[in-house]
Amino acid sequence: MSTVTEPSSPQPVRTVALPFRSAVRTIFVLEMKQRLRGKGWYWMLGIWFVVIGFIFVLGTGVIGTMDNQGGILFDLIVGFVLLFGLLVAPGLSANAVNGDRAGGTLAILQVTLITPGQLLAGKWLASWVGSLAFLVLSCPFIFWALALGGVNLPEALVSLVMLAVELGVACAIGVGVSSLATRPLFSIVSTYMLVALLAVGTVIVFGLSTLLVMEERTVRSSYYTYPESSIDGLGVPAPDAEMECVAQTYTTDLPDTQYITWILAANPFVVVADAVPYTLPEPGSTGGQPMGYSTGPFYTPGVMETISQGVRSAQAGPDLEVTCEESMGGMQPLPQGVPIWPLGLGIQLLLAGGLLLIGRRRLTMPARRLTQGTRIA
Amino acid sequence: MTNDYGGIVVEGVARRFGTVQAIRDIDFEAPPGEVTALIGPNGSGKTTLMLILASLLAPDLGTVRVAGFDPVSHPAEVRSRVGWMPDTLGVWDSLTSLEVLKTLGALYGMSAADSARRAEELLVSVNLTEFGRQPARVLSRGQQQRLSLARALIHDPAVLLLDEPASGLDPGSRVELRSLLRSLAADGKTVVVSSHVLSELDEIADRAVFVSRGQSVKSQTLDEAGSQTRRYYVQAEPMSALAEALQSYGVRFETRGDSRREEFLVQLGSTAEASWLLRTLVMSDVIVTAFAPAGGALEETYMSLDTDRR
Repeated sequence: MSTVTEPSSPQPVRTVALPFRSAVRTIFVLEMKQRLRGKGWYWMLGIWFVVIGFIFVLGTGVIGTMDNQGGILFDLIVGFVLLFGLLVAPGLSANAVNGDRAGGTLAILQVTLITPGQLLAGKWLASWVGSLAFLVLSCPFIFWALALGGVNLPEALVSLVMLAVELGVACAIGVGVSSLATRPLFSIVSTYMLVALLAVGTVIVFGLSTLLVMEERTVRSSYYTYPESSIDGLGVPAPDAEMECVAQTYTTDLPDTQYITWILAANPFVVVADAVPYTLPEPGSTGGQPMGYSTGPFYTPGVMETISQGVRSAQAGPDLEVTCEESMGGMQPLPQGVPIWPLGLGIQLLLAGGLLLIGRRRLTMPARRLTQGTRIA
Repeated sequence: MTNDYGGIVVEGVARRFGTVQAIRDIDFEAPPGEVTALIGPNGSGKTTLMLILASLLAPDLGTVRVAGFDPVSHPAEVRSRVGWMPDTLGVWDSLTSLEVLKTLGALYGMSAADSARRAEELLVSVNLTEFGRQPARVLSRGQQQRLSLARALIHDPAVLLLDEPASGLDPGSRVELRSLLRSLAADGKTVVVSSHVLSELDEIADRAVFVSRGQSVKSQTLDEAGSQTRRYYVQAEPMSALAEALQSYGVRFETRGDSRREEFLVQLGSTAEASWLLRTLVMSDVIVTAFAPAGGALEETYMSLDTDRR
């Protein structure tokens, strides 16, 4: 055989790297062609349209008489598109890589000049665009709700952009998991678990953590009432009596939620709700005065805005000083303090990016180590 | 052997999967311009070696040079020069044959025009022109096998790795595969074919490397294989006359048991010896009705290696 025991490789004479964009586009087109020619995606789109339409019509009927109808309906659609999108995105993305491996086509791609990063980017882009179609299909209802008024442009735009971003994150998690797990079924379930961990798990952990931050606190609570002297023997106040502000002090256990609100940050609903600049009613325009129920419209937030308000009140912590104005005003909208969504989005991107990075290493060939049970081809 | 040699040089390669030692020690050489057969029983490490050559698996030990490059340190250089046809059929069901070929061309960095032209040419050479615009799922197994071959050739690779290329092919397609591989070798390409169908390799291959239990046990050219000791089967009418004649010339023979008709197997050292025996038998008025090699040259080597086949 050879007399040279360790032949040295000749220097590469030409660059053999694919341009990133064209490589990603090739994979994207490959994926989209398969999706567009299959039936499954159209069925999912059809079911989606019917369900969203049903929810919308139902919502219109229920809240038709309320104020802020357009805002509430818009919020409802955003919430539903996010919920359903988080259900659809893992299905579209979580078999992207190991599905190809099962079909024997992954190795064929891996022997070409495409790099694992380009492959993952193309797969992610294709699943993201695939799930954005569901958002696009919801547009008739979104525009309908917008047409009813009450939603300003920044609110609508940021809502839709954040929806798209969250779908992208869910798809990235799915593609990342699919490049790590051997079986498509396992990776789809794992992706659902991860998404559920973000959407439901954070709320559960937050709820349980409130027990850890319980503190005994003295609360000074004030409210309007009629003075003792003006009430007769039957407990009816005199007709000319004026209400007065009475303060009461008591001690109770309250959670210092401001220390644990960050747990909620990575929740997709919180990320979307916290990022949207809702138009709050002018302070004092709702209630705020004794017997002031008739002045100004009620402040009735939609689903997502309620989440936004909930997060803000959790950030604010327990209210140790309830004033008479607060006790009369009903729900008072809280202005945004420190936005929490950048933290949440950061955590999500870290999770998705980490999965994709490990997946990229796993797809780098020639492989030194193979996961148990993996066949290359 | 120097770098500009091209082809494939593998020395002392070993690869283990967990507790399974898939390849223990393989030396393998495939020169350009020749078809090299990789022969061995199931589970002997053929496909693992193919994966290492295709830059999909890193060897634990040993040196590998494919078209002059190390697949581990220069995978892109190797990939741009290697066409690999796996033993599994990977099919994008909904894509047409042309789309599959053009997509792969794009992934090898070819321009759209180049890969379209090349794809049309290849469909002609693998006889799939009428299926060019049909989705791949309507193709039969043999047609998909041919598409897979075209896919491996899309970027005009200098080295071609074919894992069981003939499985599922009808006789006509096998003949075409043979002439295609011969013409590729004539163009100076390095062609490696792994197969069990030894009679076929006899006609395609210039040389053969035999592997067994993860080790390369023998390497020979077809000319060497042809000149070695071979078994011939002989039939005559009646067989008793043949037995007498063989005994009188001192030729040892055995009765072959696995055939429908009774026949004798004789061990002959060379083709000259075979022609001598035939002439002698005919001259002795034995009515010889059949006289032929019992198997192909490679099959003889394969059987003589006495590897265990489980």
